[in-house]
Amino acid sequence: MASLALSFGSGAMTNSIADAQESDVIMLIGSNADTSHPTIGLRIHQAKENGAQLLVIDPRRTAFADEADLWLQPNPGSDVALLNGIVHVILEEDLWDRTFVEERTENFEELEIVTAKYTPAYVEQITGIPESQLREAARLYASPGQRCAIYYGMGLAHHASGTDNVKSIANLAMLCGKLGMAGGGVNPLRGQNNVQGACDMGALFNTLPGYSGLNNNCAFERYEKMWEVKLPRRKGKAATEVWDAILTDDIKGLYIVGEDPVLADPNALHAVAALEKLDFLIVQDIFLTDTAKMADIVFPAACYAEKDGTFTCTERRVQRVRKAVEPPGEAKADWQIFCELSSRMGYEMDYADPEEIFNEVTQLMPQYAGITYQRIDKVGLQWPVPSLDHPGTPVLHVGKFTQGKGLFIPEDYTPPTELPDAEYPLILTTIRERAQYNFGSMTRKTKEIEALCPEAFAEINPEDAKRYGIVDLDEIKVSSRRGSVHLRTLITDRSQVGTIAIPYHFAEVPVNNLTLNSLDRLSRSPQYKICAIKVEKVT
Amino acid sequence: MTTLTVTINGAEIVAEAGLTILELAGRSDIHIPTLCYVPGKPADTPCLMCMVEIEGQEQLIRACVGLAKDGMVISTESAKVVAHRIERLSILAETHFGDCKAPCNLTCPGQINVQGYIAHVAKGQYEEALRLVMERNPLPFSVGRVCPRFCETRCRRILVDDPVSINHLKRFVADWCMNHEIDLEIPKEDPTGKRIAVIGGGPSGLTAAHFLTKKGHDVTIFEASPMLGGALRYGFLEYRIPRDVLNYEINTILRQGVSVKLSQKWGKNFTLQSLKDQGFAAIYIATGAGVDVPLEVPGTVNPYTHTAMQYLHRMAEGKRPDMGRRAAVIGGNNIAMEVARTLIRQGVAEVTVIYPRSRVEMPAHQRNIREAEKEGVQFLLMASPVEICDAANQGARLKLELIRMKLGEPDAKGVRHPEPIPGSVNTLPVDSIVTSLGQTTVGEKFNGGPLEKSIAITINKTIDANVRSSQTNIEGVFAGGDAVSGPRSVIQAVVSARRAADNIHAYVMGREKEEAESRFNFTRGKGFDDVDMKNFDGIHLKLREKMPTRPPEICSQDFDEVKLGFTEKMARNEAERCLSCGCTAYDRCQLKDLAIQYNLNLNKTGMGTKPVYAKDYSHPVIIVDKNKCIFCGRCERVCEYEAIELGATGFDDKERPVGLYLRFNDNCVSCGKCVDNCSTGALNKKAQIIPIHSEPVQDVRTTCPYCGAGCQIILRVKGSTIIEVTADPKQAPNYGALCVKGRFAHEFIQHKARLTKPLIRKNGMLVETSWDEALDFTAKKLFDLKAMYGPDSIAGFSCARATNEENFLMQKFMRTSIGTNNIDHCARL
Repeated sequence: MASLALSFGSGAMTNSIADAQESDVIMLIGSNADTSHPTIGLRIHQAKENGAQLLVIDPRRTAFADEADLWLQPNPGSDVALLNGIVHVILEEDLWDRTFVEERTENFEELEIVTAKYTPAYVEQITGIPESQLREAARLYASPGQRCAIYYGMGLAHHASGTDNVKSIANLAMLCGKLGMAGGGVNPLRGQNNVQGACDMGALFNTLPGYSGLNNNCAFERYEKMWEVKLPRRKGKAATEVWDAILTDDIKGLYIVGEDPVLADPNALHAVAALEKLDFLIVQDIFLTDTAKMADIVFPAACYAEKDGTFTCTERRVQRVRKAVEPPGEAKADWQIFCELSSRMGYEMDYADPEEIFNEVTQLMPQYAGITYQRIDKVGLQWPVPSLDHPGTPVLHVGKFTQGKGLFIPEDYTPPTELPDAEYPLILTTIRERAQYNFGSMTRKTKEIEALCPEAFAEINPEDAKRYGIVDLDEIKVSSRRGSVHLRTLITDRSQVGTIAIPYHFAEVPVNNLTLNSLDRLSRSPQYKICAIKVEKVT
Repeated sequence: MTTLTVTINGAEIVAEAGLTILELAGRSDIHIPTLCYVPGKPADTPCLMCMVEIEGQEQLIRACVGLAKDGMVISTESAKVVAHRIERLSILAETHFGDCKAPCNLTCPGQINVQGYIAHVAKGQYEEALRLVMERNPLPFSVGRVCPRFCETRCRRILVDDPVSINHLKRFVADWCMNHEIDLEIPKEDPTGKRIAVIGGGPSGLTAAHFLTKKGHDVTIFEASPMLGGALRYGFLEYRIPRDVLNYEINTILRQGVSVKLSQKWGKNFTLQSLKDQGFAAIYIATGAGVDVPLEVPGTVNPYTHTAMQYLHRMAEGKRPDMGRRAAVIGGNNIAMEVARTLIRQGVAEVTVIYPRSRVEMPAHQRNIREAEKEGVQFLLMASPVEICDAANQGARLKLELIRMKLGEPDAKGVRHPEPIPGSVNTLPVDSIVTSLGQTTVGEKFNGGPLEKSIAITINKTIDANVRSSQTNIEGVFAGGDAVSGPRSVIQAVVSARRAADNIHAYVMGREKEEAESRFNFTRGKGFDDVDMKNFDGIHLKLREKMPTRPPEICSQDFDEVKLGFTEKMARNEAERCLSCGCTAYDRCQLKDLAIQYNLNLNKTGMGTKPVYAKDYSHPVIIVDKNKCIFCGRCERVCEYEAIELGATGFDDKERPVGLYLRFNDNCVSCGKCVDNCSTGALNKKAQIIPIHSEPVQDVRTTCPYCGAGCQIILRVKGSTIIEVTADPKQAPNYGALCVKGRFAHEFIQHKARLTKPLIRKNGMLVETSWDEALDFTAKKLFDLKAMYGPDSIAGFSCARATNEENFLMQKFMRTSIGTNNIDHCARL
């Protein structure tokens, strides 16, 4: 997100979900959309069936890998090298879109310089991908004159080098001129229903709503006038940085809405230590989560079916959320709780309903300016919607980037923070199951879902299984330098040799006790997808 | 774009070329029935329901594949088309096997969706269960305690072990909601401005008041007694219906906004004419049948002989008439049993019920007879009173002269009536006598004004009102309940009053009455003998839960309730015994809808009589019942994963499949789209076990709370419960596609683990608190932290699952109220 905004001026999915049908080539990297975004995965499968070519880059042998025209299985964490290698080949074989680069981008020279050393031989050393495959992939994506889309998921972003990965993707798309057209684009698949909206609304440490940075005086003036208050301009702390700040006594009070860091955060035990040290912890949630159990105050919140509002989905579509039933007991919608608390803190927030809040949003944020509840009553609109008569924007960057010119930001490959060694010889990667979601607090309350997917299995390649004398359904202990979990095994070649994949939905297998809180330097995203582990059979 | 003009059913329509007749008609809102249509994917074995007639063509053609051509004159409902459709439906009906509605539902005089409320109980949705009962019966507390339980007599579980204890479940949900102070908040329509008078505040009057108030009318109940309840209060004493429960039940009805005038005697304090003069647009007579039929033997007039209603009424009022040590009850009806059991409780040592026939011929329910006997009531059968004499201090107050009876020769109808055995007179010394020989509505004529005198009365001394229209012979005056039928069960009074309410509503609004629900019903067998035992393959014996009951020797000594009610666990267990006979696809079955639309006569066409296929529960979220499959093939064609294989090993002479198979292959992702598209109940969602009949269901369009794809979903809401989740195939961005989470994983919403109150940590423990305390404490604490360590000592995590509005407010709160940019959310996690 953060890096895509640097490259293009906007961090969202450039195209629409329905667009997949118009692509000639689809490159899917670091996403198993079948489990993370099933209905989008379906459209990609259908596009493939209807004749699109499919290029999959994934260390895991996903169903997409099985049906791909070309599947690259790089070593985990080597994406920057691989993407730079692809750029290298495209330049070398002169497959790039000269006109697009000249007219619409900047800093191309830098790209040439940085990627020069990523020769196929060098790339193979890092990624394990042979030259022939690398060239084939480069030719397939570059396909001059064809509509080629890139889809990526958390498999790409959840690395210490996550933003470098994304910048490299952006470089590739700009180099080949695959932006600003239906069927093309760079499409991050957002993991949660309203991540896009939360970012749009400025629930971020480094921007005001609408991605107005903390250095944007114009925006500050607008907001301060409307809100009649002086706003802080000091840099805030990212969620993932908060734990250290608590441990160093810089942060004393924490207000957590709808999150369960005890299960969710990388190196979760570190987060627990920090939570214990807090002077004051407020948790607002629909269930008494493990985090809520540590709170000083717990506010009972309404869930999505008990309130009105909007969500913004991964394709930037702003859609209605409608109240169907009353919240249980005395639970209240989050917005009502914020209003009441703020008013008691001396800053009056008085809204009759979510629509009134939304109307404030549309006054402040140009991307949402033309959206009203009435306009999205039947079908949502895709931002930017600059005016009331604007039909919404299914494809971004048509003719011109949001920030004017696209910026090439080449990066060098840096190896993952923690790689296997003698003591911890394997790699752990966290994955999703189709039927489960997040930490299961919602999905696991449905009996049929539990029957479908009742347990976390460690997915181990048959070769590794043989080496460790493990058979299907053995109980194993998986440990990293930070913690360990017990679970049963599933022997499958979906996992790459040397890598064990574990779903993170199950509280009884708190796999984030193992992961690394090593953060990306720009977005502060954690490296969920790689850490060094060892396995032991439990007898 | 070229356009063309066609005529459909006489209307000229211009449209673009290239559309099928079905598509073109659909755009002009002309509905052509089809059971197999999937846009763009015509069936290999079509249902042939969409056939239409084209002028100038001999053969009917399939509208789903036939292209509209310029100048076509199309008829979608011609006699030929209709005849064809009926023939097609007949062929499908002939082998379709299942129950549309369950036998319990059909047997209940109230037509209550019994299977539905049992299913709610099984799911722990007690409030919704009660709401469903209340749709048709506003007296669930009373009926749940005294109903004769017609439903249980037809429960198919009888063929396995015991019938489901349906009535105890009804009582359970009512009591549970009362104990948990649940307000059902039954919706009321906008005020109509019409005033309606209800004479009598018993079951019939209360029911009519309930339904009329719901319709927006201004209802006033006129009750002769000082308290409401009628037969519920004065016919059943506390040990059957505790007073607090009855008062709660009545108040639930009154809370909707019913006016009540107590101690207002009809004919004395008001008349029909005075009500009309006061502006009541309609009057409902619901006085019940409270006049005892007198015992016609010499000596009945004495201080120790009472009639049943007199006696019970006085007892209910807390008066304790002196009944001595020995009492006789003359009569064998249900009221006689209530009298006998009340006498026992009053402390009468010997209570004898006297009845001229045998025990099985007593009109009282055998259950009531058994309970009376257990409590010590004695029965003197085949005996009839001939005279009551003063005992003149011979150890008793009265001498009851009895004659023994025998059954005479059969009469013309074959009925054997009891006859006295000559010379068999016996004497029973007693201290008091209560007669219960049946009740009528009125002695001879109603008193009051000329209108009262003109009310038509039947020979049974009940009001002569039309059973269908509830109208009496007087304009604007309706009657129902026992006042019309004579003494019946409470549920029958409820039904009669509900019907009357519908009639009164139509009358005062000057409208036609809403059409009654169709009685069309596929059945697996009308009588028990018709039900194939193969239906019960795989069902394990599980005996019914026993109602916790106080021992008769103890409960007969006081007026406390005898039956204590199911515990929650017992109720859940019992509900799980339900065989769920009725179809859970009732509300979406298009075969049934078309059969009703085309007046299909199942007696003529016949229907499946025994299960050919076993139900298949092997799929994680779907139940397959191939006995209901009509081979429309929609499941296979709507599946976007090619995960369904539907086929048959052969076809019969009418081209119906035999050896049907429906398999899910490894591609299946359990998204459930096939179920939402099934034309009958062949595919069902495992979790959706509630059949929906005529209950209002609200479709709420919203956005899926799971991944970022933004799929549009439809929450189907009944009362305050989400019944199921579906999707609209026309709606971007997902166009009807959902994943297993989107269609199924919503049980968390109403999960009991939800937080319902603010919590605060006190002495190391999280304890419940008020919003005020929680908010004040939080505000103060944040204020202090800010003052001591600065605003940046506070951080907030917003939520990527909350709405835009909420995320916006959260960051606004952190930036304004707190004054920090320490705001973030889990985008990266």
